[in-house]
This record gives sequence, C-alpha cells and structure tokens, in this order.
Amino acid sequence: MAEFTASVYQNEFLPDGGTDVNAIVTVQCTGAGSVGGAGGSTAGEVIIVDTSGSMGPQTMAAAKQAAQTAVGEIADGVWFAVIAGSDRAMLAYPQVSSGPGMVQANAQTRAEAQASISRFVGSGGTAMSTWLTLAMQLFGSIEGLTQRHAILLTDGENREDAGKLDLAIQQATGYFQCDCRGAGTGWQVEELRRISQALLGTVDIIPTPETMVEQFRQMMQTSMSRGVADAQLRVWAPQGAQVLFVRQVAPTVEDLTARRTTVNPLTGAYPTGAWSDESRDYHVAVRVAAKAIGQEQLAARVMIAIGDTVLAQGLVKATWSGDSSLTTRIDQQVAHYTGQTELAAMIQEGLAAKAAGDEATATTKLGRAVQLAAATGNDEATSKLRKVVDVDNEAEGTVRLKRTVDKADEMALDTASTKTTRIKK
Amino acid sequence: MNCPHCAEPLADGAAFCEACGQRVGAAPATPAAPVDVSEEASPFEMTAATRAPGRPTASGPPACLQCGGTVGPDGYCEQCGSKRPSERDHFREQPVPTVAGVCDRGVRKAANEDAMALHATTQAGGRVVLVVLDGVSNTDHSSEASMAGATAARDVLLTPLPSGLGTDTSRNSAVKQVFGAAVQAAQDAIVGFTPEGSDKPPSATFAVAVVEGQRLHIANIGDSRAYWLPDAGPGVQLSVDDSVAQAQIAAGMDRKVAEEGPQGHAITRWLGEDAPDLVPHLVESVLTEPGWVLVCSDGLWNYASVPSAVAEQVAAAGTTDPLELAVALVGFANASGGHDNITVALARVEGTAPAPSPPPASGQNAAGETTVETAPPGETDG
Repeated sequence: MAEFTASVYQNEFLPDGGTDVNAIVTVQCTGAGSVGGAGGSTAGEVIIVDTSGSMGPQTMAAAKQAAQTAVGEIADGVWFAVIAGSDRAMLAYPQVSSGPGMVQANAQTRAEAQASISRFVGSGGTAMSTWLTLAMQLFGSIEGLTQRHAILLTDGENREDAGKLDLAIQQATGYFQCDCRGAGTGWQVEELRRISQALLGTVDIIPTPETMVEQFRQMMQTSMSRGVADAQLRVWAPQGAQVLFVRQVAPTVEDLTARRTTVNPLTGAYPTGAWSDESRDYHVAVRVAAKAIGQEQLAARVMIAIGDTVLAQGLVKATWSGDSSLTTRIDQQVAHYTGQTELAAMIQEGLAAKAAGDEATATTKLGRAVQLAAATGNDEATSKLRKVVDVDNEAEGTVRLKRTVDKADEMALDTASTKTTRIKK
Repeated sequence: MNCPHCAEPLADGAAFCEACGQRVGAAPATPAAPVDVSEEASPFEMTAATRAPGRPTASGPPACLQCGGTVGPDGYCEQCGSKRPSERDHFREQPVPTVAGVCDRGVRKAANEDAMALHATTQAGGRVVLVVLDGVSNTDHSSEASMAGATAARDVLLTPLPSGLGTDTSRNSAVKQVFGAAVQAAQDAIVGFTPEGSDKPPSATFAVAVVEGQRLHIANIGDSRAYWLPDAGPGVQLSVDDSVAQAQIAAGMDRKVAEEGPQGHAITRWLGEDAPDLVPHLVESVLTEPGWVLVCSDGLWNYASVPSAVAEQVAAAGTTDPLELAVALVGFANASGGHDNITVALARVEGTAPAPSPPPASGQNAAGETTVETAPPGETDG
C-alpha cells in the first residue's frame, strides 16, 4: 500500500494587519508499486502515433520503432491499444470493429501490436480531436479501468476548425492522462502544452529521430511505475478565507487553481493524477482575515487523498507578530518557487513576444528569465536560454536576442520552461 | 429560511451562511461543561470543589471557543481554523449552577499566568469561595506558581469561617486568622516554585471572595479585584488595590489618568519570596439583594474599571448563568484588546428577605461594608 507524507515549508509569522499566507507543501509517495499484475490490471495504455502525410520517411521509421519499444514496455495484464492518427483516428490494434477496443498485454498481444505498427504508412491530414476522442472511447470500452494513460506523438500542427480540439480536450480532462511529444520542429508547442496540461501529462520536443526510442521507453516505464491510480490534493481554508492559488511547482509548474472541485464548503480538491514513488511540491497561498498580534490560527490544511481517504495532511499556520525580524523573513522555499514560477512565465511570454516580432518585450522578458534562472540555480534553463540569447550581464539580466537561432533550441526552451529545480540545500 | 445577516437563502439545517459565513441558528455544540463531582452519589460529599486544570474535558469532540465549531484532531477548529488553547491557557469551572469562572490567556500574552480556584457547596444558600491570583509576568515559573497558590488558598477555605462567637471582635479576629492562613498557604505554594538563587522569584496578586449565606468576605493583596454588582442600584469595588495608581488616585489624581499612566500597573504589594508583607485587606459585607459577586484580574478591569462600567458589561451580557456571563466578560476583554491574562470568577446571589440589618450607608459603601482591617501604614485604604 502506498504511503504519503506531507511537509510544510513556510514563514507563519505575519505582520500586524497581514493577510496572505504562502506555503510550499512537499508531498512524498512511497510504496506506490506498479500497474502490472498477472491476474489482471485496472490500468489502460493507449499509444497514439501521428500517421499523417507530413511524417517524413526518417521520422516515420523512428516513430514506428519508438511505438514498438513502448508496446514492449507495457506490463503483463495492462489493457492497451494503438491508434494511428491522421485526419481521422484509426484503431490500429486490436483490430476490432465492435466490443472492447483494448486487449490485455502478454507476449502474443504485444507482438501482434508491434506487427500492426510496422505496417503504418503516412497519408492524410492532422485532426487531433479525433485521436483524443477515439482514445476516450477505447478506455470507455473496458469496464473497471481506474488508471488511463496515453502517449501522443505528432510532427505537425493541428488542422481543424478552431474549437474542435478544445472541446475534445475538455471532454478528456479528468478522464485520462496524456504525455505529448513533438517530433522535429513543425509542431506547435502551445498546442501540445494545452493538451498535456489539461490531461496532467508532460510535453517535450524530440528534435532528432534517434532519441525517440529512448524517450518512449522512458515515458512508458514511468507510466508503468505509477501504482497509485489517482490522488487528489485537497485544500481546506477557514470560514471567510480565500484560496488565492494552488500550484504544483515541482517537478514542473502547473497552475491548478482553476481545477478546483468542491469537497465541502471549506475544502476544494485539485487533480494530481497517478503517482509513482516520487515527490512533488505545491505552492498554496491563502488570504485570511487579519487577527490581533499574538493570535495564531490555521490558514490551511493541505491534504493528499485517494477517493475519500485522506492519506497525509500538512498544516499551514498564521501567527501575527509585532517582531519585524520574524515577519519580514520570506521562506526560502517560497522565494525559490516564486522565482521559478516567474521564470516559466518570462520564458513563455518572451518567446511569444519574439514570435510576434516584438523584440523589445522579448529582450526584457528573456533577460529577466536569465536573471531568475541564475538566481534560482536552474542550470537547465540557463543553458537553454543561452542558445536563444547572448548574455551581457547575468546578474542584471541584460541580454541580446541571437540573430540566428535554431528553431529546435527555441522549442526546447519553450517546452522546458515549466521544469523547475529543487532548492539547493 | 434566509440568513438573518445578509438575507441570502440558507440550506436546510445550515449552521453557517454560505454567502456571508456568519453563524445562523443555534450553536451546534455547547462548550464542554466542567465535570461536577457533586454528581457522585456519596452521603459525605457536601461540596463541589472543581479540579485543577489539565483534567480531561467532557466526552465528545471539543467545541471551538471562537465559533463553536468542532475542533479537529490536529488541535485547530474545522470551521474557523482557530487554535484550541491548552488547558492552562483557557479553562472554565462551574462547581454549582450559580458559581462559575473563566481563566484565559488573553490575546497578547504568550502564557496564562492568571490562576483561579473555585469551591461551592451544593445546598441552596451554601458557601462559595472564589480565588483569583494574577502571576507577575517576567518572573520564574509564574504560571505554575500562581496556579498552585490559588489551589492552596482555596483548600484552606474549604471549611466554613468561624461563626457563633460571642462578639464581633472575637469573630473578626478569628476570620482574620483564617484569611491569614489562606494567604500563607498561597505564599508557601508560590515560594515553593522559586528556583535556587532566583533574582526574579515567582510572585502573584491575591484576591478571594467568600460568600456564606448573606455574608460576603473579601481579602486581597495586589491589584486583582472584587466587586459587588447588585441587579438594581450601583455596584461597588470592595477590594483595595495595592498599586501606584491607587496611591495616585488617593492623592487626588483622576482615576483614568492614573490607571492608564506609565505606573498604572505597578503593584506595591504581592505574594512571593520578595513580598513586602502578607497582610491582606479584609472587607466584610452583608448581601440582601440579588446580584453578582465578581472577582477578577486586571485583564478584565483594564477595560472596565469603575463599578458602573463593569455593571454595564454584565447588563449587556443579559444572562443569569454565571458561566455564560464569565465567558461574555472574557470575550469583552479580548475584544477590547486582550492585552493581559483575564480571569473572571462569579457567584450569583439571589438575595433573601431583607434581614434586619443597619440601613446602608451612602456612596461607595452602599452595600453596608465594614472595614475590618486596613492596609499597612503608608498605604491608602480606599
């Protein structure tokens, strides 16, 4: 049985009249186990491969190999299916036209699926909404699935009427999780990020076909290690208080504030998806009514729950004090992740401004990003930023945009923008 | 049904309004009532002394002192998030329905150094003992010492005061001896907490009220007070402060200016190893009307010093239940700032048929007070 712990990092001291309480809550999961099981599993995997005409022969060959590798990683007993996606979605495996659209993995079904993948031919357009919708139908055809995960690979941008993809994302939200990968540079980071964020997954670029197999192997291995099907982060705040925001801040920045569902009038639940043995950090901000100096109260209970069972709880407190040496201190973790969140925003906004031709804004924002990446010790962001800008002064954030930038480097910076580093202890 | 505060519709059975968050309807849970040991069936159990703080409360989940909500297993209210105070930081006692007290840390102080001990016999018109000690802050073990002192003094007063003696003089002298013993017991308990070679030994004020039938006895050292607050007519402060402010008032300074001045809270006499002397002010009174005997620490009277101001708060609470009234008075002091620990001990006196007694004098001594013992030389006895 999986065990969770929650640790709170905060400065609980507020000045006279202070109302806003910030805390970082680290949630650690151990003993998650894995999804496999010879006697049958309640986990389902769908692999979606773009088979539109835009897929070049090299990319297509790599994609087939990657998808076959991923199939090979699916644990015995796990239900799975493979979708070939173009301007419509084809169920490539299992080849059925009615009844359950998924099969349980074993040596034979994996080999059959790999054979089906080897027959993929690129043709047609790209209509991602149909891919997501078919994945939903396949998951829905198996009764009793508690854990649903998909991997989506594309090389191009969506060619559909505006709104269709959004609708499909909306329907799939909360139903299955989806990791997205873009091959080459012909796809839209923003588009895949919209899918992966809503579906609690990751997004990344696969700039060259050679690395694709390894990425798929890792993605499927990670998914197989998630023995905890679905956990919720719950935040209780006192009567009259306001939850300002709830963000996952590690390993990536994901704003969960708008994903709140009501548990009871004082408690909201935020989706966190499936868990393996891992730890994630959450930044919770609550606004409470100021009390007199010397008073202490609870500002939030941050809980991790599976179903209706609360497995761990962290207490976020507020104590009003007249001692400014206590109240002016900002917690190191809160400061660190506030910087990392701003870093993600600066990179995304800077790249958007650059794409729109607004070089002044792009320079300012990416300059601020360089400064924040250095200050918070995010070396990955620093090295990726340095491929897009020339840095004059890191500490002050003065940069110049590079005249020629590899498109793949820019996209890699964009997809990695939400990745955070933990504080150096 | 709509919310009485904001008129928004309410869900059936809602204890709080979803729109404005105010409490509506009846409180879902009442504060845990102290265990009344008089419930135990024993032919010899004539009294109902309450136990020391630290005892387990009545069964069931504890109620939040701020909003009446349920306190969770983590020690915080599940409704408003308020921290549940420790048993020492806030305790309530109600030995009999007509006698109760609340001892509270207040808002600003880090610890509760006030102490309270009550005793009451169960039969109608029986004896009541109210003891309040205010531990001086910044002294060692002040909190434990004051509690031990209050309990020790209360235990001395468990037996009835001497009566049936031939003359007033002999009775007064006997009563004086009993109060002297109570002070000494408190003193011994407090000194017992003094660490070896302490340069700030624990010290405390001392205020006691004993009601026996119609007779009320007050003994005090320091600036904790006793008031008699009749339902009709003006109230009186019966205790005499041993404070710089009191000396200044006696010398003609305005009461408000003196009490709020820089020396307003400096006391001139106290209990403890370095106590100047151990002679309490003693006051005796005959109560014929219904009303309240109140013993309190300065945490309350800081915000309502003159008897009429205290009486105003008593009237505002609008209750005849002593615990409800004590909670209301503590709430008033906390709402006014709660700068100090607050202790409120109350005994309800229903009055009897007017006993043949001398007509009351006018002014401050309206209750018919007679001073038995005055302050030592150099002190002013109000």
